[in-house]
Amino acid sequence: MAVDAGRPKRGALLPKRMAAVTDSRLGSLGVYILRRVLWMIPVVFFVIVITFVLMHSATGSPWDKTGGRQLSQVVVDNLNKKYGLDRPVFEQFLLYLWNVLHFDFGLSYQYQGKSVIQLISEGWPYTATIGTLAFLLIVPVGVGLGVLAALRQNTRVDYATMGFATLAASFPNFVVGALMVVLFSVLTYKWTGGNFFLPAGGWGVDDHLVMPVITLSLLPIAYTARLTRASTLETIRQDYIRTAWAKGLPERLVVIRHVLKNSLIPVVTTLGPTFAFLVTGSVIVETVFSIPGIGRAFVVAVTSRDYPMILGTTVLFSIVIATANLIVDVLYVFIDPRVRLT
Amino acid sequence: MHLRVSIRAVTLALTGLFVVSACGGGGTTSQNLASPDKQVINMNDGTEPNSYDPTQQTYVYEAAVGRNVFETLLKSNKEGTDVISAAAESYKVSDDGLTYTFKLRSGAKWSDGKAVTAADWVYGYKHLLNPALAAGYVDPFFDSTIKGADGYGDVDVSKASAIDTFLSSLGLTAPDPNTFVITLQHPAAFFKWVVTLWMAAPIRQDVVEQAAGGTFPSSDTTKAEIWAQKAATIIGNGAFKISEIVSKDHVTLVPNPSYWGGAPHLQKIVLWFIEDANTAYAKYQTGDLDAITVPLANVDVVRNDPKLSKEAKVYPKLTTFWMAYNAQKPPFDNPKVRMAFAKSIDRDKLNKQVQHGIQQSISSFIPKGMAGYDTSNNAQSFDAAAAKKLLTDAGVTADQLNKFKLLTRNTTRNKTLNQFIVDQWNTNLGLNLQLEVIDSKTVTSRLRKGQFDLYGPDGWGADYPDQQDWFDLFFKGACHSLNWGCADIPGYDDLVKKADSELDQNQRNADYKKAQDMLIDQAVVGFIFQDYEYNLIKPYLGGLTITASDDQSLPGSLFWHDAFVTQH
Repeated sequence: MAVDAGRPKRGALLPKRMAAVTDSRLGSLGVYILRRVLWMIPVVFFVIVITFVLMHSATGSPWDKTGGRQLSQVVVDNLNKKYGLDRPVFEQFLLYLWNVLHFDFGLSYQYQGKSVIQLISEGWPYTATIGTLAFLLIVPVGVGLGVLAALRQNTRVDYATMGFATLAASFPNFVVGALMVVLFSVLTYKWTGGNFFLPAGGWGVDDHLVMPVITLSLLPIAYTARLTRASTLETIRQDYIRTAWAKGLPERLVVIRHVLKNSLIPVVTTLGPTFAFLVTGSVIVETVFSIPGIGRAFVVAVTSRDYPMILGTTVLFSIVIATANLIVDVLYVFIDPRVRLT
Repeated sequence: MHLRVSIRAVTLALTGLFVVSACGGGGTTSQNLASPDKQVINMNDGTEPNSYDPTQQTYVYEAAVGRNVFETLLKSNKEGTDVISAAAESYKVSDDGLTYTFKLRSGAKWSDGKAVTAADWVYGYKHLLNPALAAGYVDPFFDSTIKGADGYGDVDVSKASAIDTFLSSLGLTAPDPNTFVITLQHPAAFFKWVVTLWMAAPIRQDVVEQAAGGTFPSSDTTKAEIWAQKAATIIGNGAFKISEIVSKDHVTLVPNPSYWGGAPHLQKIVLWFIEDANTAYAKYQTGDLDAITVPLANVDVVRNDPKLSKEAKVYPKLTTFWMAYNAQKPPFDNPKVRMAFAKSIDRDKLNKQVQHGIQQSISSFIPKGMAGYDTSNNAQSFDAAAAKKLLTDAGVTADQLNKFKLLTRNTTRNKTLNQFIVDQWNTNLGLNLQLEVIDSKTVTSRLRKGQFDLYGPDGWGADYPDQQDWFDLFFKGACHSLNWGCADIPGYDDLVKKADSELDQNQRNADYKKAQDMLIDQAVVGFIFQDYEYNLIKPYLGGLTITASDDQSLPGSLFWHDAFVTQH
C-alpha cells in the first residue's frame, strides 16, 4: 500500500482511541475545524507583521495636525513617550505582540483614554447589525432572482432581472445612498408635509435601517443573482436534471432538491467573503447615513495614523474573514456530499 | 467639507454689527416661548471630541462641548471687544502687569452641588500644565506666560517627582477659597484673553482620583483621564452638563442645576456627530437638525429656495487664508518673486467662481472683526501686469519656475481652490505649474520637513481676538509649526515680542501694524480670503447671539445659556 511520503496518515499522531472519532464524518469535521482555527494564529501573525510594516512606513506621524499650528517638539516628545513610540520599532512590535497575547490591543491615540477593544466593541454592533441584515436580504433576493432568471431564460423576466442586476452593480453606493436620501427623506418629507419620511441618517433599530441596508445590499444582490443564474443554467443542462424531469418529478422538487442544491456551491463560495465584507463595514454607507460603525472608524484611524486602532481593526477583520471562509468550507460538506474534508 | 483651518477655535467679531440675533423679530414673551419639553435643540458638531477633558481639547468641535460644560475665569463679551466676568466675579492686574488676582464668584457650584473653590482652579491649571499629559494648547499660551512654566519642555515625564517639582514651582496660588492668583514671567497684555480659552478650566481633584480608584503619581497618564470617559464623572462648573455620551453618534447636554447664572430656557442640547455635510443638510430639511453649515455645492439651491433662503445667515469668522512659498528655495527667497505670486491671484474672481461669493477677498493678515483689521496696505492686491513685471525685474524665467508644484491636501475644497489658483498663476504669469495632491497627513509631514515649493490654502482662526494670537505665527522659531516657508524678516520677531508685552494698547496696535506691513510687503505669504460661515438656522431658534468666534456650524454656541425655542 502506498503511503504519502513525509505526511503521516490522518489520525496517525493521535492516540488509538481517538481513531473512532476521527474516522467518523462529524469527528473528522471537528478535527478539520480545529486545525483551521489553529491556522488562524499564523494568519493573524502575518497580518500583524504586514500591517505593522505598512503602517510605520506611511509618512506622517499621529501627532501631525492636518491644519493649524503644529504641536511643539516638546509635546510631541512627551506624547511619543506616553505611547511608547520613542522606542525602536522592533521593540514596539515585540511589545505589541506580547500585549496581544494578553488580549491587550492598546489605547487609541486619537480618542484619549479609550482602549482599542472599547472602540471596537462600541462600533462593531452597528456595523454587524447592518451587515447581517443586508446579508439576510441578499441570500433570498439574490439567489431567488438568479434562479428565476435562469429558469425563465431569454424571457422578459430574465431580461428584467438581469437589467436590474446590471444597474444595481453599476451604481456606486454613494450615489444610491444620496439618491435615496433625497427621494425618501427630503422630498417625501416635503410631499407628505413631514408626516412620513425615512430618516436621512443616524442610528435607530427601526426605519433608520431601511436605506443603509438596501444601499449596502444592492451590489451583492446583483452579483449573487448573476452568479446564481449562470450556475443554475449550467446545472439544468446536466443529465441528472434530465433524469429528474424524466422521472416525472414536479417542478418544485426538481428545482429545490436537484437544481438549487447543485447550483449553490459556487454561490456559497462567494457568500462567505461577502458576509465578511458586509460585517466589517462600508465607510461610504456609514458616512452617508452617519452610522457610528467600525468601517468609518477604520478609515479615520488610517488617515489619522492611529496605529493601535489600525492594527486592532485589521486583526478583527482578518479573523472575521478567516472565520467566514471556514464556515463556507464546512457548509460544503452539507450541501455537496461529494466534498470530503481531510 | 471645509478646509481644516486652524484647529484652534475662532474667537469673536469686533463690532455689534456682526452680532445678529436669529430670533425672528419680536421680543420674547412667555407667550411665544415653547413649552419646556420642546426646549430642545439639535445641532451638528461634526466629529466627536477626542477627549471630554477640557484641558486636552484642541479642535473646534471639542471646544463646543468644553465651553458649555466648563466655565473659564473670564469670557469674551458679545461684541468681542473685551473680556467680561464669568467664573471670576472680578480680576485685578498688579501695576507691573505680573500678578493677576481673580476673585471667584461666591456661591458658584459644580454640577454635583459642591462649591467651586480656588483649589479646584489650581488643580485644573496644574492638570493642564502637567507635561506628561501633553495637552496640545499649553504651548505657547501657558508655558510662555505663567511663571515657572517656561521649564515645561525640560521635565523628565517618566519621573513623578520631577513633574511634581515643576508643578509646585508654577505661579498658581489660592490664598483663600475665593481667590485665585496667577503670576506671570513677564508682562503680557493679552493674558486676560488666555484665561478665556476653554482648556483653562477648573477640575475636581476628588472626582479625578475617585474615578482612578485612588491617588496616583502625576506621571500616570492613563489614570489621570479615566474621569473624562463617563458622563457621570464629568463634573463641570458650566451652564450645562453632559447627561449622555453615545460614542461617535451624539452627546446630550442638559442644564447644570447648580449653575450660578440660573436655569437656561433650553432643557436639552443634542450635539450630533455627522461628518458628511450633505447628510446634515438632508437632516436639516427633515427637521432633525436645527442649524447647519450649507454644503458649498448647495449654496445656490438654498439661495433660490423661497423657504430656505429666509433661514440662511451669513457671518464672518476670524479666519484668514493664504498661500505659502518655501522661502528657503530660490527663487522664492526673493521677495519680488513671492510678491509676483501674491499679486497674480484675482481674489474676487476666486470668491465668485469657486466659493459662491460667500467669502471675502483680503490682501492683508488680520481679518475683519478684530482690532488690527486694516486694508490700507494694498501691496498684495491683484494686478497681473505689475506681477509679471516683478518677475521680469527679479530676472526669473518661466523655465526656472515651471518645475515647482503646488502642494495640495486631498480634500474637495482644497483641490478646487488650488486648481483655480494655479490657473491664475499660469495665466497671469505665463507659467505652467502643476498641482501635487496628496493625503493630508503626508502633506503636514512634508511641510514640517520643508519639502515643498508652494503650499496652500493655509489659514488661521483666532483663538481670541487679540493680535498677539496672530503675529507669533510668523516667528522665526515657528518655522516648522505654521511659518512653513521660513522667510527671513529682519526685526520682525523683536517688534512683535515688544508689542506682546507692552501694556499701552495704542502702542501695541501701532507695533502690530508695522509687523503686518512687514508680512504684506515682504510677501511672506500671499493673503487671499477671509472665511465666512453660511448657515441655515430654523426660525424658531430665539435668543441666539451669533459671534465671529462661534464654533463651526454651531451658531450662538458661546451664549446658548440665553437661547430658547419659540412655539412653532
